[in-house]
Amino acid sequence: MPPAGIPPARALPSKESALFKEVLHYYEDRQLKKGLKAADTILKKFPNHGETLCMKGLILTHMGRREEGLELVKQGVRLDLTSHICWHVFGLIQKGQKNYEEALKSYTQALRFDKDNMNILRDAAHLQTQLRHYDALVETRHTLLRLRPQLRQNWIALAVAYTLSGNLIEAKHVLEQFERIVKNVPDYDVEMSEVLLYHVRILEDLGEHAEALALLDSSAKSRTIIDRVAIMEFRARLLSKLKSPEAQQAWQGLIEQNPDCYGYYNGILANRGIDLDAITDETRGEALQVLHDFSQQFSRAAAPLRIALTVAVGDEFKALIESYLRSRLEKGIPSVFTDLKALYRDAAKRETIESIAHALLDSLAHASDAPCPRSIDPATYVWTLYFLAQHHSHLGRHKRALELLDTALAHTPTLPELYLFRGRVLKRVGDPYGAARWVDQARLLDLQDRFLNTRCGKYRLRAGLIDEAVEVFGLFTKKDAASPAQDLEDMQSLLYLTEEADAQLRLGNYAMALKKYVGIAKIFDDFEDDQFDFHGYSVRKFTINIYLNMLKWEDTLRSHPAYVHAAIAASRILVRVHDDPTVTTKPASQSHLSDAEKKAKKKAKKAEKKVQEDSKKGASANSTNEDKGLDAGPPKDDDPDGTKLLQAPEPLERAAKLLKPLSSLTKDNLEAWFAIYDVAVRRKKYLQALQALNHAHRLDPDSPELHIRVVDFKRRWSSLSDKPAESVVDVVSSCLPKLIPDEVSLELFNSQYLQRHSSRGAAILAAAKVSRALDAPREEVEATVFNTLNADVELDLETAVAIDAFLSEIQSPREDEFRTACQQKFELSSVFAPREEVPALRRSALQQGIVDGNESKKEEMIS
Amino acid sequence: MSNPRPSPSRVSFASVTPNNLGTVRKLNAVLFPIKYSEKFYNDIVHPDVEDFCQLIYYSDIPVGTMCCRIEVKDGQARLYLMTLAVLAPYRSRGIGSESLQHLIDTAAAHAKPKISAIYLHVQVSNSDAKRFYERHGFKEVGLYENYYKKITPHDAWILQRDIQPVKAPEGK
Repeated sequence: MPPAGIPPARALPSKESALFKEVLHYYEDRQLKKGLKAADTILKKFPNHGETLCMKGLILTHMGRREEGLELVKQGVRLDLTSHICWHVFGLIQKGQKNYEEALKSYTQALRFDKDNMNILRDAAHLQTQLRHYDALVETRHTLLRLRPQLRQNWIALAVAYTLSGNLIEAKHVLEQFERIVKNVPDYDVEMSEVLLYHVRILEDLGEHAEALALLDSSAKSRTIIDRVAIMEFRARLLSKLKSPEAQQAWQGLIEQNPDCYGYYNGILANRGIDLDAITDETRGEALQVLHDFSQQFSRAAAPLRIALTVAVGDEFKALIESYLRSRLEKGIPSVFTDLKALYRDAAKRETIESIAHALLDSLAHASDAPCPRSIDPATYVWTLYFLAQHHSHLGRHKRALELLDTALAHTPTLPELYLFRGRVLKRVGDPYGAARWVDQARLLDLQDRFLNTRCGKYRLRAGLIDEAVEVFGLFTKKDAASPAQDLEDMQSLLYLTEEADAQLRLGNYAMALKKYVGIAKIFDDFEDDQFDFHGYSVRKFTINIYLNMLKWEDTLRSHPAYVHAAIAASRILVRVHDDPTVTTKPASQSHLSDAEKKAKKKAKKAEKKVQEDSKKGASANSTNEDKGLDAGPPKDDDPDGTKLLQAPEPLERAAKLLKPLSSLTKDNLEAWFAIYDVAVRRKKYLQALQALNHAHRLDPDSPELHIRVVDFKRRWSSLSDKPAESVVDVVSSCLPKLIPDEVSLELFNSQYLQRHSSRGAAILAAAKVSRALDAPREEVEATVFNTLNADVELDLETAVAIDAFLSEIQSPREDEFRTACQQKFELSSVFAPREEVPALRRSALQQGIVDGNESKKEEMIS
Repeated sequence: MSNPRPSPSRVSFASVTPNNLGTVRKLNAVLFPIKYSEKFYNDIVHPDVEDFCQLIYYSDIPVGTMCCRIEVKDGQARLYLMTLAVLAPYRSRGIGSESLQHLIDTAAAHAKPKISAIYLHVQVSNSDAKRFYERHGFKEVGLYENYYKKITPHDAWILQRDIQPVKAPEGK
């Protein structure tokens, strides 16, 4: 503490001063009760003593009386703005609330009044890492090292800070200095080993390969680096980079260690100048020879065989795939199609696989009602049928797939994979109800298989059966959870949240859908928060290499497909709310509230009541010394159906916040750019909107959704009442004509687009939407849309569903006509069935029991 | 628990449980001309008959079932083999024999209660089945007239095999 210049308001008489030291002491030891008592004694005499108020607030927070504690801390800070204790306490509380920005500000204040406080400096460093303030982090770590150079972790922490800030040369210097002075390292010390590997890594990243290899070799020899696999991997890579003749041997050694690691094969081939991702006719033969030799040497390894399939072409491919496929089908490996799917990008390979699989099937074919000939394995036959069903369905030949599956099911009706895949084919042809029924059959075959259970739940959600889905999910969730849904959310099940949100959206329940999408976004916030503890832990435990990898991963966290999907879908709902605020008050969400939700609501209320009672009890009997920590617990759910969330103010700002990470993380995602545009243009951020259109234009200039938005932008821009800043106008007037020419009318632009893409269903729909927006008569719009049914137009199921939704939106009297036509066009589908039949279809998905009709035909009954 | 045990042959077994009962129902539906009652399904998942109610796997695919009940009369416990069948394409490769042998071995090793015999009914038209059981030491011990009410022929042979209990290991 600063010896002089204590402000009079902070100074305490010696008795209270001693008591205050005790408070600090008690807090450090988590003797909360005693600490509270001592603080109260001081406050009796000096009720306005800021530091004591803060300490009392901190102790109360630890005891679970969070709101009361926070109030006291705020009061304390106001009363003593120059106390490092007050600011430190405030920072601790804010950190507990995961409000890292504000916490760092408080810590910075605290450091102004006590610049060499180790605890505050260390906490500040963690916050700076979390917030990626790397230059400031270097400063902080420097100060810490200056204060305590004898602590090893302070050296490492500084090197890490330099690495993160991109200054590898300084990081290298720090490590060199550290290695010179460090003494008394025990033999086989894991921590030192990690530090040296980190050093090698920095040298490698700096391009100093010879130095890196020298350090690696000497450390390996002296056994100061003890991670054997890491030594071998670093060595092989460095030798390759140095073009050393020893490299070949090093890679060979790695493959002998683990012949199923793809990376090693990439390495050994790259070392010979063969790039596996860009095989040419010159390199192909050599690559295949190398892979062949390894597959001879390691007969049990799959990697060299599988890589060879990617490399080989023509007859060589044929020879390789034949034995590969046959051996896997004979072993009954269910995933063999998934394994080979990547090869299907090559049409020739696709056809080879098809002809080989069919030849195999022909050689295995036998009747399903008689013993199979001894020379044939009936199991191989079933797996071959299964493989071919997947093959044909993948290529869009769903009818063929269904026939193959029916043959397989008549032969072996007990294999869950067959039911599961039959469900999947039905899903693909637009029959979500039949799909759910078949997947449920698979589940009934083995009730303790969680994979089958989860699939069944997912397919029920796809069929709009939300309660029934939650019911099957509930068979595997914790029994003491508030509801299965709550448990799955607590377990961060992205699959469940995504599927339920999508299902709610399809049912028009925006509130619930938004709630689940936001739930997904929250999970990613949690992932981000979770790294916090590692800023201290990893440096203390010297697990630096993996820590640096993790930080890099955290920076791209929200490129995860579940986040991208949730952010886009949520932003669409919020845009809708902005365009038509009445959707938030439609009673739909209430009446849609299903039984399960009602039950969940009741249960949640009960649980909440209990929590309140508990906290009351806790407050009245605050004699417990139990430390509840500084992290705020999960907030209680006071919005079980999402209505409040949907009605909350500033929908566009919330949407923009969700979409923000996408603009840098998912540059190749058209949908993301459209979502960003939709929000930006409504927030009157014209440059951002235009930029999004430009990005989309670069990805696909003919995209139907882009066409809609280009026209939308032009319309909004030319009807602006108050002109934006001149700089904005300049940019827009120079960029916009590249997307849409100035001289043509929007109507003409639209009809030109339609003409260019008159055989693409999605493009026709886009043109229809544009003419609708341009106030064309409804009959004309309908006529355009109905062109999608022409024989020469490519119309996929998804687009057909979108067209139906559009017709419904414009209240077209021709919607039923369109649905009937689609039902004929997509003959296996059920999504275009007359609306009044939907409830019956849904019920049909829930057919109980596993055995069908033939059971009831049996006369004989044995009891 | 219901995972088939690894076996040097491709045949393996797993006890019938409430979880895999769906598979048993599916097999019974295609294997027998007879409908089984809910009581049947309740009985076969009882822990007492766990060893004698088994799913039969071939290459890890369920291809058959084998279900017994224990009947105690005059202090003698006998196994009544209610069902034993394998899907048609998987027949004639020894799966049934292996299963029946497995059952006989299990019965012989069973201590509480000791099993004195296994018996079953075979429809008199099914001489293939009769020969199959005779190969495994079963003998015709009687004829049950009008055993089947609805399917013809109505009569059934009663086949039985006595079980010699294996000596329990020393010290037990």
